Amino acid sequence: MATKNISRPYTVAQKLYVFYIIKGMLINLRRFFTGLVLQRNWTIQYPEERRDYSQRFRGAHFISVDKNKTENCTACFLCETVCPAECIHIVAEERPDDQNPDGVWKEKKPLSFDIDLLRCCFCGFCEEACPKDAIKLSRDYEMSVSNRDDAIFDLAHLKREINGRG
Amino acid sequence: MDPVIFTTLAVVAKMLLLLAVTLGVVPVMVWFERRGAGWFQGRPGPNRVGPFGLLQPLADVIKFFFKEDWTPGNADKFWYWMAPLIALVAPLAAISVIPFGSHLVIGDSVVQMQLADVDAGVIFILAFAGLEVYPVILAGWASNNKYSVLGALRGSAQVVSYEISMGLALLSMLLFYGTFNMNEMVTWQTGTLWGFLPAWGCFFNPFAALVFWVSIFAETNRLPFDLPEGESEIVAGYHLEYGAFKFAAFFMAEYVAMIMAAALMITVFFGGYGFLPGMQTILEIATQQFGLGAAGIQNVTALLQFTSLASKVAFVMFVFVWVRWTLPRFRFDQLMDLGWKWLFPLSLVNLVFTAWLTWYMGQ
Amino acid sequence: MKWVVLMSNPISIPKEDLNYTSGKLPVHSDPNPEAKPLPKVTIDGKAYEFKPGDTIMQVAERYRLHEDIPRYCYHPGMPIAGTCRMCTVEVEKAPKLMTSCSTPAGDGMVVHTRSEKVLKSRNGVMDFLLTNHPLDCPVCDKAGECELQDYTFEYGPQESNFKEEKRVYESATTKKLSDKITLNMNRCVHCERCVRFTDDVTKTNDLVMVNRGWHKELTVTDEKVGLVNDYQGCLTDFCPVGALTMNDFRFEKRVWFLDKMPSLCDGCSKGCNIEVHHDKEVVQRYVPIFNEKVNNHWMCDEGRLSYHTYADANRIVSPLLPDTASGRLSSTNWETAATIVNARVKSASKVLVVVGTDATNEEAMLIKGHFSARAELKYHSGFGENKALDHLLRQSDKTPNTKGVAAIGLAPMQATDVNGKDLVVVFRQGRAQIPKVEGQDVILVGVYAREEIDALKASNVRIQAVLPSLATIEKEGSFTNCDGITQSFNAAVAHRGKALALPKILAALVGDKH
Repeated sequence: MATKNISRPYTVAQKLYVFYIIKGMLINLRRFFTGLVLQRNWTIQYPEERRDYSQRFRGAHFISVDKNKTENCTACFLCETVCPAECIHIVAEERPDDQNPDGVWKEKKPLSFDIDLLRCCFCGFCEEACPKDAIKLSRDYEMSVSNRDDAIFDLAHLKREINGRG
Repeated sequence: MDPVIFTTLAVVAKMLLLLAVTLGVVPVMVWFERRGAGWFQGRPGPNRVGPFGLLQPLADVIKFFFKEDWTPGNADKFWYWMAPLIALVAPLAAISVIPFGSHLVIGDSVVQMQLADVDAGVIFILAFAGLEVYPVILAGWASNNKYSVLGALRGSAQVVSYEISMGLALLSMLLFYGTFNMNEMVTWQTGTLWGFLPAWGCFFNPFAALVFWVSIFAETNRLPFDLPEGESEIVAGYHLEYGAFKFAAFFMAEYVAMIMAAALMITVFFGGYGFLPGMQTILEIATQQFGLGAAGIQNVTALLQFTSLASKVAFVMFVFVWVRWTLPRFRFDQLMDLGWKWLFPLSLVNLVFTAWLTWYMGQ
Repeated sequence: MKWVVLMSNPISIPKEDLNYTSGKLPVHSDPNPEAKPLPKVTIDGKAYEFKPGDTIMQVAERYRLHEDIPRYCYHPGMPIAGTCRMCTVEVEKAPKLMTSCSTPAGDGMVVHTRSEKVLKSRNGVMDFLLTNHPLDCPVCDKAGECELQDYTFEYGPQESNFKEEKRVYESATTKKLSDKITLNMNRCVHCERCVRFTDDVTKTNDLVMVNRGWHKELTVTDEKVGLVNDYQGCLTDFCPVGALTMNDFRFEKRVWFLDKMPSLCDGCSKGCNIEVHHDKEVVQRYVPIFNEKVNNHWMCDEGRLSYHTYADANRIVSPLLPDTASGRLSSTNWETAATIVNARVKSASKVLVVVGTDATNEEAMLIKGHFSARAELKYHSGFGENKALDHLLRQSDKTPNTKGVAAIGLAPMQATDVNGKDLVVVFRQGRAQIPKVEGQDVILVGVYAREEIDALKASNVRIQAVLPSLATIEKEGSFTNCDGITQSFNAAVAHRGKALALPKILAALVGDKH
């Protein structure tokens, strides 16, 4: 690729600098009075106002449940396999027959299903990989926790009610 | 009343008033700096604490109070503690020679509206303003932190460099006024120039005014010259190791220094406590309305003069904030270029020209 | 195609390549090859020599063209059935596609394994197989090593033409055929490998297909007896789908996480070639790999499940020394153990060293070298004379190296050998039985479980020290099996406790440094 040198020489006024400072300051003064008098803001007041995120926003994970509140996850490990951040940790077990009205379709279940949110990069690959539409990323973007253990979502937390999507 | 006791009481009252006003302005400025930043940038700014966010500085103070007052292990304890004290005391001392009015008449005594009417007022101010480089160096060195030392080096180099052009600009004005006394300077600047312009120093020597103005930005470490700090390179610079109330002292000192510099600039270049246009009319109306005597007229005049100075200082403070949120900061070499290659030689030339002009006019 | 991958394993190739695994013909056996040229078959444009009588599939396998010919019912260790129709190839001048598994190769035959016609046929076969396959790969343990998955990916239709309800065997979904095997009949593709295995390999005839066509179903021959053969694990190895799965491995791990390392089974004196499947050094299962001379494609269940011994939570993995006051054994570090044990061995005048027959040849030699000057050396298996338990693999001697240890010149231990000894040093690193040493001072070296130690203490054995060493899958060496075949192996997994390799322990026991 050929390099093309373009020189844009400064004008005398630009070199003197003072006039352009004054010009810039006048522009900003207009901004000041716009903000002061018209209270025109470009920001949103977060806890009260909320931005409307896209339907495809990828936030906190959850696991969808069926009508019996049984998780749809069958511990197939596909999410754990595809996860680039290696933040999903599953231990599988066989569902006891007496708790399994769905028979062979839900004979395997996760004994534990942990997602380490501190490692997660919210790529959504787990959602793509899931053959049961079990793991999903909600639009919930408020995930701050006050201690590290709370940032590891376990199965009970993942099965929580999610409004909006899922 | 015994004149000695009266004078003592008057001085104490003036001291307290000066301290109260100066330090009282600091929280207002803190609030305005942050709220004003919001308005400049098209956002509301801090508006949660109290009406219009006015209690935000109070919240800050409470925060500073309850933070852990921590001293680094390898710091030089004495100078580490002295630095914020010097930072706060030096500009407060310098303010004492600024006249903020002519005088009040109480009973048959006359009270100067100035804490110390020093003949060499300008020299006094320069001496104490020059002290401002010490807290920067001391804080940086005593913290025993690499970033702090780098910030201190930058800060001292910057302050010393700009002090030269600032001094030269002042010197050219001293040639005009022919006095070091600040009251006399203000008196010199009363009246009008060609009938419509106030006879302010800045109109006689606009170049010196500009140089002085630029220099006080560097002197007070304000943007665009806030090189002693720098989040991306040296974190908080010289006050990196300061927390809680020691940091608050530095923080306050910055605003006190701004007030001091603004007052000095007003006094030397912008007519000091001299009446703003229209104030003479107010005085006349008040005199007629209330039927004031000579003492009353003098007192109202003094109050109006104080108002004039206060509003001028307020405007300069607004410009400080305005510039801060408008101009990007300089690189250090650009800063030094500007100081040594432009302002210093130009102010020298200006000084020589002024000297010649003064001599010529005196002929 | 698991066995194909496993065949490439270097330790499994016997010297005389009777089953063509090395890809070379045993032409040297022919005294005069010039006089009688071998017949040639052309597969995909290239001519290959073959032995008369081979089928096309066998020729292709010998020359490693097996990846071009998919198969379900064909298995090199079983009789040919020709039922799945997956291995059809195009043979020029033949009117129809031929099943390569059952068509003998002929001289001058021209075979195409990937022609358009063949691919279309395979696509059709896959479409039919998938009509009733439940596609429950997420819960199926076979997923990842499933031939149905692989061939669907390679040949199959992307979409099924089958819109109707899939067939469901109500009684045979997740049916426990035995305590080792679970059957999910919905996944079955009716290749009948399992039936032929019980008919022709184990000759137990305990699996059979009942009903016909749509209702064809695998079941045990006699419900009262059930599935009782000793090679049930092999059913899951060659089942091309997840119809037959191992209970032991059920839902434990997805196969793609497994690291596969070749090793030897030390469960009996047969020395079956195995692949140790582990994830992060945790062994999940043993799988046999092909060795014509030793175990063919098979492996018994006893050996297959023997990895539990080494993963046992009660296995002792740090050196134990008795407390001087109470005599209780407590764990210590190797430096302390070495100092005490070294002094104890050197102070003893009459020492008996019992080498368990689960030591490798190298270890036995090393023990002999260290102790021959200062001790009486014997070997001990505890299983007596070896007998074959069936016509296939199982042996009565449950230790892997009796022949090898005997071959280096040790004599079997007699019950009277312990009499009048100051100290008995027992090496036992696998399934050899601990010799009867009641009332003796004993140093135990090797792989022990806590229960065994407790039982020894209960029988009045004064244990001087327990020094844990590595298990077979954790070390390298060689075993000589019951047929006199010596096979070497490398470490398959890393040991995760504090056990040491035997050379280091021996140096600590009788070395001069301490």
